Amino acid sequence: MTAKIKHFPGTSLSEKDFDEKKVLFVHDELKADYAWDTGVGIGTYLAGLKRGVIMGSYCATCHKTVVPPRTVCEWCFRPMDEYVPVRDTGTVNTFSLCYVTWDVKRIKEPEIPAVIHLDGSSELSDASVIMGGIMHKLGDVDPKKVKIGMRVQAVWKKPEQRMGAITDILYFKPIKD
Amino acid sequence: MTLLERDKDAPQAWHGNLPVTSRYTYGIAGERFFRTLKDEGKIMGAVCPDCDHTYVPAAAFCERCLAELTEWVDVGLVGELHTYTVLFVDYEGRQLDEPELVGFITFGDGGIVHKLEADPDDLDIGIPMQAILKPKSKREGSILDILYFKPVEG
Repeated sequence: MTAKIKHFPGTSLSEKDFDEKKVLFVHDELKADYAWDTGVGIGTYLAGLKRGVIMGSYCATCHKTVVPPRTVCEWCFRPMDEYVPVRDTGTVNTFSLCYVTWDVKRIKEPEIPAVIHLDGSSELSDASVIMGGIMHKLGDVDPKKVKIGMRVQAVWKKPEQRMGAITDILYFKPIKD
Repeated sequence: MTLLERDKDAPQAWHGNLPVTSRYTYGIAGERFFRTLKDEGKIMGAVCPDCDHTYVPAAAFCERCLAELTEWVDVGLVGELHTYTVLFVDYEGRQLDEPELVGFITFGDGGIVHKLEADPDDLDIGIPMQAILKPKSKREGSILDILYFKPVEG
């Protein structure tokens, strides 16, 4: 329908028009501070990261361990049975070589976001399944050599610098055989 | 530790900020309204002759019959106090040392919400209120080019 309209009424404005104050305008900055309650599950996860462990939660009915921990099992809808530590090693499930930053600036060395499937802790039975994975970055690696199925390990901040955030893990790096 | 108990080491909340900025242009009628306020120090209204209605601030179209409004009129700087309120807290919710006054001053069939400078005891619904403008050199085409409204003396 818009193809039929040859001329749209109105005035298009360029940045120059604003610089030269050709039109009146107001600039505003919304005060959008927020505080997101971490809740019980994610709170436990963040507290774990501060201590240097990655926590999951385990459902004894379904034999599933999820990371980050949730308080209710997604399969049977019963409360999860316990929080369990999982290993800080895992397998690259999927990844991306990203040549732009979050605010769309070009970069030479790519950021490598990846989903990492973490290894379950040793107390877990063989029947347990670690579901999904956590989103993090890969580092200390040649971008050309990143592969799905690659074994990786978390590189942590120093304990005194950790604050209970996902960034307490700096990145995951390949495990050298 | 039971599953639903908060970990004592857990951060209570994650704090963040959304960097949202905006730039608002006034539109065709708004541009002309604020230009006139800035350059000539006048408050303008727009008349719809068919509806016998004067819009203040001036508008591009009549809200009642949708006709384009071409007849603009200077409605003067004195309006009528329609209602007002005394504010004891500021925008952030903090207690103010001195209460502030905000009122709605009618012009034509419309009006303007603005700050009032007056002793609250002197205010009455319906009294004439005068707009006090910034000096011309300081005006920048904003509603704040009107500093405040005060009761007409005498």
